[in-house]
Amino acid sequence: MSRPPAGRLVALLLAMIVGFGGVLGRLAVLQTRDRATFVQLGFDQRVRTVTLPADRGDILDRDREPLALTLQARDVYADPQLVTDPEGDAGKVAAVLGSRLAPVRHLLSSSGTFVYLARQVDPAVADRVDALHLAGIGTLPTTKRYYPAGSLASQVLGFVGTDGTGLSGLELQYQGVLAGTAGQRTAELGADGTPIAQGLDTVTAARPGEDVVTTLDRDLQYYAQLQLEAAVKANHAKGGTIMVIDPATGDILAMASYPWFDPNSFTSYSEASYRNRAVTDSFEPGSVNKVITAAAAVQEGVFPLDKGFEVPDHIQVDNYTIHDSHPHPMESMTLGDIIAESSNVGAVKVADLLGAQRLSSYVQRFGFGRPTGLGFPGETGGIVPPLADWSAATLATVAYGQGVSVTPLQMASVYTTIANGGVYIEPRLVRGTVDAAGVFHAAPPARTYRVVSAATASTVTEMLAYVVQDGTGLAAQIPGYQVAGKTGTALKPDPKTGGYYPNRYMASFIGFLPASQPRVVVAAVIDEPTTIYGGIAAAPLFQKVARYAIQRLGIAPAPPVGLPPHLLNRG
Amino acid sequence: MDLVAGRAWVDERRPIRHLDPVLLLTTGALTLVGLLLVYSATKGSLLQFHEDPGYYLKKQIAFFLLGTILLLLVASADYRFYKVYAGFAYAAVILALALVRTPLGSSTAGAQRWFEFAGFQVTPSEFTKIALVLMLANVLSELRTPQPALSDVIRVTGLAALPMLLVFLQPDIGTSIVLVAILAGVLVVAGTRARHLLALSIVGVVLILGAFQLHVIKDYQVARVTAFFDRQSTPADARYNLDQSLIAIGSGGITGQGYLHGRLTNLNFVPEQHTDFIFTAAGEEFGFVGSAAILLLFAILLWRAIRIAYLSKDAFGTFTAAGVASMFAIQMFVNVGMTIGIMPITGIPLPFVSYGGSAMLANYVGVGLLLNVHMRRFK
Repeated sequence: MSRPPAGRLVALLLAMIVGFGGVLGRLAVLQTRDRATFVQLGFDQRVRTVTLPADRGDILDRDREPLALTLQARDVYADPQLVTDPEGDAGKVAAVLGSRLAPVRHLLSSSGTFVYLARQVDPAVADRVDALHLAGIGTLPTTKRYYPAGSLASQVLGFVGTDGTGLSGLELQYQGVLAGTAGQRTAELGADGTPIAQGLDTVTAARPGEDVVTTLDRDLQYYAQLQLEAAVKANHAKGGTIMVIDPATGDILAMASYPWFDPNSFTSYSEASYRNRAVTDSFEPGSVNKVITAAAAVQEGVFPLDKGFEVPDHIQVDNYTIHDSHPHPMESMTLGDIIAESSNVGAVKVADLLGAQRLSSYVQRFGFGRPTGLGFPGETGGIVPPLADWSAATLATVAYGQGVSVTPLQMASVYTTIANGGVYIEPRLVRGTVDAAGVFHAAPPARTYRVVSAATASTVTEMLAYVVQDGTGLAAQIPGYQVAGKTGTALKPDPKTGGYYPNRYMASFIGFLPASQPRVVVAAVIDEPTTIYGGIAAAPLFQKVARYAIQRLGIAPAPPVGLPPHLLNRG
Repeated sequence: MDLVAGRAWVDERRPIRHLDPVLLLTTGALTLVGLLLVYSATKGSLLQFHEDPGYYLKKQIAFFLLGTILLLLVASADYRFYKVYAGFAYAAVILALALVRTPLGSSTAGAQRWFEFAGFQVTPSEFTKIALVLMLANVLSELRTPQPALSDVIRVTGLAALPMLLVFLQPDIGTSIVLVAILAGVLVVAGTRARHLLALSIVGVVLILGAFQLHVIKDYQVARVTAFFDRQSTPADARYNLDQSLIAIGSGGITGQGYLHGRLTNLNFVPEQHTDFIFTAAGEEFGFVGSAAILLLFAILLWRAIRIAYLSKDAFGTFTAAGVASMFAIQMFVNVGMTIGIMPITGIPLPFVSYGGSAMLANYVGVGLLLNVHMRRFK
């Protein structure tokens, strides 16, 4: 064949020119018109924003002993798409983490681009994971909440979730104070997830949270919990609550309910144990209410204190028969005797003279029917029927503490008010906060208002001292100190029948000492003790905790108060 | 004509005096750009694994030196002798393509493509291109008629179809496309009648559709091609290559981010960047100006190739040059086209620029053939 026509070469050249034109045109569009779009796409896939967690503030006791701390920890994560050898890497990582192989292998073989292999691991362990230099596996800084004393005051402190957010208790209530403000790190990452050396890397530093200084006394709290647990077990009870309150300031020095939990491993406890039942659960207070009835009667001067009431062991009100706890013959009793003997019938007779309106008003002024102002998450105000709904039976039952429901803290507040000379003081759990600079910011002092006169308060104190000296509260006596207090034994309502369980009781003893110059109020409540009566089930617990409080707080004995007029003759 | 003048005339026509410096400079420039880009595209990941960042660069330089030696060898003997050996070369690559599918060959990602040879990978499909150019040029230049008859077209197509099929089954769709382009280019230049070319095209399209229907093509290849034609409904994995490629090139803008400063290039976002996607590194780091300059180098290369085909004294030289030109053109067009999203993604390296020994050697042999034809255009 001779040389072919040149025209065909031109055709080939033309085809190539068309191809070049297409490529060049497309290239121009991509690199000029669409450039910004692609730059943004590239940036977006490189830039990751990582949250820098703020150090959470500590929760401290009143002497700044730590109750909840934040430790540095790290999360171990993986991008399974970048993991080259899921099988082998899983073995190495699991060995370092000390976790089981199968779940790690499963995570590394999963289809997403981000999984946590372990959260909040010790920094030393995380360093060992990093030292493996496995593609697609890394660690991120985080923090871990640590409660050095385990179950100590656990229901008050609460706990935080794995993301560091308070989920209950003070951790939840003071979330905004404790949490601080998280910072951010925006960095360009390579395809394998490691930061780029000269890339964008901006850091907004985190602002640490403030420390919360509670009113709790760590030692007292510890001892109170120790004794509460022992008392619950000794009485074969379902549970119990203990509180120690400073009546002058409203400071709660100790507060716990058994059974409790360890916030370091809260998930392995029942949710019921998380509740701070001193404020979240309400029950019918029982004879504790007689203190309100007595205080109201004294303050209102309804009858002279030496007046004798003829008290049988039962009384008919509307369709109900109200019994005293023990059968007894008709007796002549003063108000002091009625309190000391905890006579339901006597209280009903006193309430009759007082009338519904006045009793209702005092019940409210003593803080029933509304939350205490503590602001604790889940706090309830209990239930007090509105005056309009009061019948003769309501008046009678409220007089001795059935037909209303209150929290243990509300009950204790009645005694705090008497101990504080008739002035109601809002209980509080937080003394103040300490900011990052170490400056203490005191919480505002507790709100107060007068409920009864100081004279009335001291008269009621005499009656309460008489209870311990000669009445139902003998087990609360402490040698060398005059104790004022009152037993309570209340039937537990049965939500199914609307009536009461025949044999389930809340037994309590709440009191303060020294009677003439009260320094502490101690409330001991035992839920469903087999021994039933507050004097037997709860008074010894009160006594042990109060005795420890004397030591711990250095409470000096004070001159005794006198006893109220009484008619009963006790051998 | 006196003796002195005659000697001068002969001197004038000595092959060594008729090198094509433009062709050589262009080839050298493309190779140099390739070296720069291979280094840029690989140093990041090499450093990350604490390897010598110049590892690929050094190997590529070695391939370049080896290629230069081959070029000189190929250019030194008169190309017309190669007509004699075209048949042997053809038979040799057919044998190699058959053997590479036996356990003697090595495979990766389901494709059986190369021989492992003293630490080097020898890919027979790269040399198949050159052998086919020579074989087709040989057969067509032997025809006695001014235009190939239908029977000739069928015979020539059959010769091309055998290696195409073997390469296709590896599977290496990219090289199959190159072989098709070589056949088409040579047939066009050989003056094949338009209706024959049209019929051939129709048969080709039918065969391609048939291959899809019979699932001869592997799933990942189907996914890549589908990703090209239907952007929205393709899974992220199949789109990833193209997305990264477009981001890299688009981010380059007009002047680029500067050599060794391409973010995606440095950070290994683009898969296969030093081989099939080397153009993305050029796009990102050198921008439109740099990319267009590379295209310009290819344009000069092809212009020289076509010019050599035109200047050739005989049909064999013309067809050989046209075949080599078609080989470079289709590779440039498909390779760059896939990185900018106007061609489906198939595994075709960019001549002289992509990392790879066999391709480098085959391309330098191609340039050697062009040079040979150019040098001997007066003899």
